Amino acid sequence: MLALAIIGPGIITAVADNDAAGISTFSVAASTFGYQMFIILLPIMIVLAVTQEIGARIAIVTEEGLGDLIREHYGVRMAILIYLLLFVVNLIVVIMDVAGLKAALSLFHLNTTLFLPAIIAALFLFVVLSNYTIIERFFFVLVAFYITYVASAFLAKPDWVNAVTSLVILRGQVSPHFLYVAIALIGTTVTAWGQFFIHSYVRDKHLTLEHLKYTRLEVYFGAFVTVVLTFFAMVAVAATLYTHNIHVEDAAVAALAIQPFAGQFATLLFGVGLLFAGILGCVIVALSTAYVFSEFFGYSGSLDENFSKSKLFYTTLLVQLGIATGVAMIPQISLFAITLAGNFISGAMLPIIFYFLYKFANNEAIMGTHTNNKFQNWLLVGSAVAIIFASSLGLLGQILGW
Amino acid sequence: MLYFAELFGKRVTSADGNAIGRLTDFAFLATDQPLITKLRVDTRVGHILVPVSSMKSINGVVVLTPGFETSGVAENELSVRIHLLDQQIIDIKGNKVVRVNDVVIQDKPYLVIAGVDVGILGIARWLRLEQWLNRQLARFGTTLRSDFLPWEHIQPLELSRGKVQLKREEKKLTKLAPEDLADHLERLSVKNLTRIIDLLPDEYEAEVVQNMNVTRQRALLRNIKPEHAAAILSHVDPDEAVDILLTLSEHRRGLITPFLKEEAKKRIDYLLSLSSTDIGSLATTDFFAADSEETAGNVRKRLKRDTTLDTPLTYVYVLNRKKELVGVCNLHELLLQNNEVPMYKFMIPNVVAVYLTTPPEIAIKKMVKYKIYALPIINDKREILGVVTIDDLVESMQEKLI
Repeated sequence: MLALAIIGPGIITAVADNDAAGISTFSVAASTFGYQMFIILLPIMIVLAVTQEIGARIAIVTEEGLGDLIREHYGVRMAILIYLLLFVVNLIVVIMDVAGLKAALSLFHLNTTLFLPAIIAALFLFVVLSNYTIIERFFFVLVAFYITYVASAFLAKPDWVNAVTSLVILRGQVSPHFLYVAIALIGTTVTAWGQFFIHSYVRDKHLTLEHLKYTRLEVYFGAFVTVVLTFFAMVAVAATLYTHNIHVEDAAVAALAIQPFAGQFATLLFGVGLLFAGILGCVIVALSTAYVFSEFFGYSGSLDENFSKSKLFYTTLLVQLGIATGVAMIPQISLFAITLAGNFISGAMLPIIFYFLYKFANNEAIMGTHTNNKFQNWLLVGSAVAIIFASSLGLLGQILGW
Repeated sequence: MLYFAELFGKRVTSADGNAIGRLTDFAFLATDQPLITKLRVDTRVGHILVPVSSMKSINGVVVLTPGFETSGVAENELSVRIHLLDQQIIDIKGNKVVRVNDVVIQDKPYLVIAGVDVGILGIARWLRLEQWLNRQLARFGTTLRSDFLPWEHIQPLELSRGKVQLKREEKKLTKLAPEDLADHLERLSVKNLTRIIDLLPDEYEAEVVQNMNVTRQRALLRNIKPEHAAAILSHVDPDEAVDILLTLSEHRRGLITPFLKEEAKKRIDYLLSLSSTDIGSLATTDFFAADSEETAGNVRKRLKRDTTLDTPLTYVYVLNRKKELVGVCNLHELLLQNNEVPMYKFMIPNVVAVYLTTPPEIAIKKMVKYKIYALPIINDKREILGVVTIDDLVESMQEKLI
């Protein structure tokens, strides 16, 4: 029973990493580089598992969110800097998610000017009016819809041997553009907001030290499930579009483009997946901004509280959803440019978050006996260095047009 | 009124001007009267703790006395940065209310924490944006006020357990205007003083009482037993004693005077008999007052526009919204301030004032003692009725002498 009670933070945070913005990035990555890009998936899984576990552990031991800890140990100036950075990056992700939602709606020929604001408004009201438990169940329902990607992958009739072996064997040359897309891929999976979200979410769920062991397993399992889903989504695109040399710019186009090769049903499945990924993503990412806001500035912020008590918390949520809906409704706007860029910035921001995780998780005054072990530290520092290196190279390549 | 955000990082020098380091923290006593006891100075080779008694001045640069001492942390001392600043404030039920954005320190007559700033201005101060922000807002005809939480509302005992907890449940914080904070603290101390005054030796007691301002003295004498009041007054300078006695009702005065010590009683009775002259007849209603929120620039502009050389003008009196006298500043001080600085930030909150009942002889003694050229005359509600200048007083004395 205890094991069941703790399920939530790890799986929901990790799977939400594959939000609509994520699916778009996977589509771009898989249609441009095919199976070559698969080499990045296992490292992503390990980094995701380890960093999320550190986040959950810190949250359980300290009973505080990452935002709380940063404010208390680094002061208000650092808190504001991080918050502004996070607000912008998260807003871009929320915009992409709402745009993904919009694209999915138009796939099903639904009137977006009517349905998009209605859905967002309904989501906001739902989050405000419901309590933690109900919202968590809702998240689980959304997570379940990710199974559609597995089905799409099978309909695409891929070269399974090639797909699986590409996870461990690097094929072809590594170009700066490859690195740029790879960082975006890391950035959409191992996210800055995810680090803050798992903290806040664990705290909001009131998990305690006795839950630590199970939460750790749940977090690892969540990372595994996430990367498996990424794998299938990418297989669906790689097996159809990359093989036929079609480069797509976002997930909705990918959903349409796979139709000639995998059939109408695959398009439908891909579209449904995108729809729910958009819903899950925009709520969770906007929630993460709201959690961090209330932690940094000390206001009450919990899903269990009503609007009047957590006014600023819910207002932050509303502002993010409102701006995102507004931007996504502009017909002329091309979100392709920001899809990769947004996730790239999100990825490039990770070393900063890792720095804080490293500092807090190794501080005995904060963590007591639950400090990091050598492997975790090595991995944190190693992946931070690798991300800094790869993102600098990728950015340089992007600027110089390599 | 000092703010920790503005003191943090200040240069610390020795009496002969040699650099020692930078001020980074204060140690204070976690009691109802949170005295600041030590300064933490970060030097090139580490940090030192310097008792406040070794501090010569804190305005501009922090200057230490020649041969200043250093010491360690005492058991009952807490740190402003670790235990107070940036911490989450919770109410008695554990609800998150807000964070401590800045710590407000009163420097006269001794360094003591007056309260905490929980408003946006507290954050802006750390970013050095306070004045800029208010300038921008002034264009729209509005300003931001600091939001203070007086120390009285905080449970000092909980601080050492790492919690900034309020004494009651707070739906909406009861905040105080900055200019009233010092006054509030004084009134609060009366309550504490009546409780602890029995423990003090008589001479020390009298010294404490003499250092209070008139309002506080009166409040104290109203609240303690007549024989105790008499014991204190016997040790107070007779001039002061008479002034205090004259502010009390005749009934109350009659209760206290029989208990006065013989020698003191003689002098006090004599001085009381002098009080036939009405100080009101010597007073002028020509004085210059400013609102506590008014900026120095604006006050200077008004001085230039509204006053002539005929006006005897040595001080600007500062009033709060209820038109109570809350501070004073001299013209030199006013000249030194930047345009945007509000009056409450540099006014002296401990105003030496007299009542209509105060004998002119005592008024003149107060002027000599505190080196003041004009005294405000106030009523029970702390409203200014007029000002009596040293010239007019001397003139009236002269008539008597001849």
